[in-house]
Amino acid sequence: MENVSHSEQPTVGAQQVYDSSQRPPPFVDEWRELYRYRDLVAHWSVRNVTIRYKRSILGILWTLIEPMVLMVVLTIVFSNLFKFANIAPFPVFLLSGLLMWDFFARASLHIIEENTVSQDLAQRIHVPRSAFALAAINAYLFNWALALIPLAIIMVILRQPFSPALVSLPFAMALTAVFTLGLSLTVATAAAFFSDIKLAYQALLAAVLYSTPIIYPLDIVPEKYQPLILLNPLTHLCRLVRDPIFYGTIAPSETWLIGGAISAASLLVGWWVFTHWRDAFDYQG
Amino acid sequence: MPELSVAQPWAGANPSVQLEGVGVRFRVPEEKIPSLKEYLVHLLTRGVRYRHLWALDQIDLVVRPGETFGIVGRNGAGKSTLLKVIARVLRPTTGRVVVRGRVAPLLELGAGFHLDLTGEENIYLNGTLLGYGSKEIDARLSEVIEFAELEDFVHLPIRKYSTGMVARLGFSVATMYRPDVLILDEVLAVGDIRFQRKCLERIDSFRALGTTVLLVSHSLETLEQHCEHVAWLDAGHVQAVGPAAEIVQQYKDRLDRD
Repeated sequence: MENVSHSEQPTVGAQQVYDSSQRPPPFVDEWRELYRYRDLVAHWSVRNVTIRYKRSILGILWTLIEPMVLMVVLTIVFSNLFKFANIAPFPVFLLSGLLMWDFFARASLHIIEENTVSQDLAQRIHVPRSAFALAAINAYLFNWALALIPLAIIMVILRQPFSPALVSLPFAMALTAVFTLGLSLTVATAAAFFSDIKLAYQALLAAVLYSTPIIYPLDIVPEKYQPLILLNPLTHLCRLVRDPIFYGTIAPSETWLIGGAISAASLLVGWWVFTHWRDAFDYQG
Repeated sequence: MPELSVAQPWAGANPSVQLEGVGVRFRVPEEKIPSLKEYLVHLLTRGVRYRHLWALDQIDLVVRPGETFGIVGRNGAGKSTLLKVIARVLRPTTGRVVVRGRVAPLLELGAGFHLDLTGEENIYLNGTLLGYGSKEIDARLSEVIEFAELEDFVHLPIRKYSTGMVARLGFSVATMYRPDVLILDEVLAVGDIRFQRKCLERIDSFRALGTTVLLVSHSLETLEQHCEHVAWLDAGHVQAVGPAAEIVQQYKDRLDRD
């Protein structure tokens, strides 16, 4: 019986020929391979979401609880601090920005930390490494989307209206994701060569959080420092995300242009750095 | 010592695996530099020096479709690097590698398995990691489970599996389709004797249908028994290549001399 199933063993697809001398430059090669491994990206994304909650009793509910707790704590801490700025309802202001930050910080750290692991996997079997980075982005994007549910509940409670401008939110989230992917690929590549990069990045994250108008509005920053804050890419991305939720407006078109340009640049640079140095890493004995 | 022949007169027109002047060079820093700070300090003070190490150097090999080709050599001779180059894990620094058809490396069984996920979830993870599409896995799912003999456990997290069960699942996924080239590092020791026999039967059925097998082994009997041709690697070079019995004899003589 077993033998029957063996001889029936089919082969798949047309015969592919691998010729190492015909391989396109890494920048293109990685992209092609990523497309070929798209099912891996899908399964690995689901895996990332699943394993995070697999062994907890509340499971996926944690995605909903986490932002609630965070919001309550931070509202208590900051709403008094920024009382003069007169932003109401403060929890909606805060949470709309914080969820974006949460996505950015967690996804990038995950990619940087996991890169060494996926390097290890990729040194044993042929697989495009960018698949793991993309899967991490997908998983955290899913978490972000889920966390919008408690935000919506809070909005209902605080009588914050839902504006039609909310249709722009998915695009803002997508741009943030692209930016995060590019940046993470760059940092992850550096971190694979030097172990202190990860620590430096963690330290930098805390500093960036406070220099981005996420937990406070841009107006309370003294005017002469505002151009400095505007150099921070996250300032613009945060605005794209927050405007439809908190102000009920679609962000101005120049913010979209800046956000789009920043994201595209981040991805191109990250993709180049990642694919260019990938091979060099393999040849380190 | 007579000059050892590296010519391969049996090479056909469309070899299954073909290596032309393949070299793989590793760059090893003379001192281990783990951090950027130290790297910069090194760069400023005396420069970072690298040792270039050729794990493979000027390798020419031809493997005919459907044959079982053995690779022998001491530890560190470059055997695993050779397999990596063929399995597309490493890009050769010099030369050219051509592989015709789908490659199944049975080197890393169960790569990407996660203990908290069920057998079925892991089949898809591991399967897509090996380059199969979801649909390709769908079509073979029940057969994969059946071959691994895990019908009753497939919805349990593999944390609950025995080592043997995990290994069976890994082998079953890796061989769900007949590959054109199968890479084996030592003859598999998967599960109990009975399952090992089942694995060998499957590999034999692949061979019967035209799969090329690359077999790395330290067991000279295994090589003589299974392979038509054997390449002897030494320090990244092909020391000799030819009919299995002949090369194994040469290798034995060398071992006896040392």
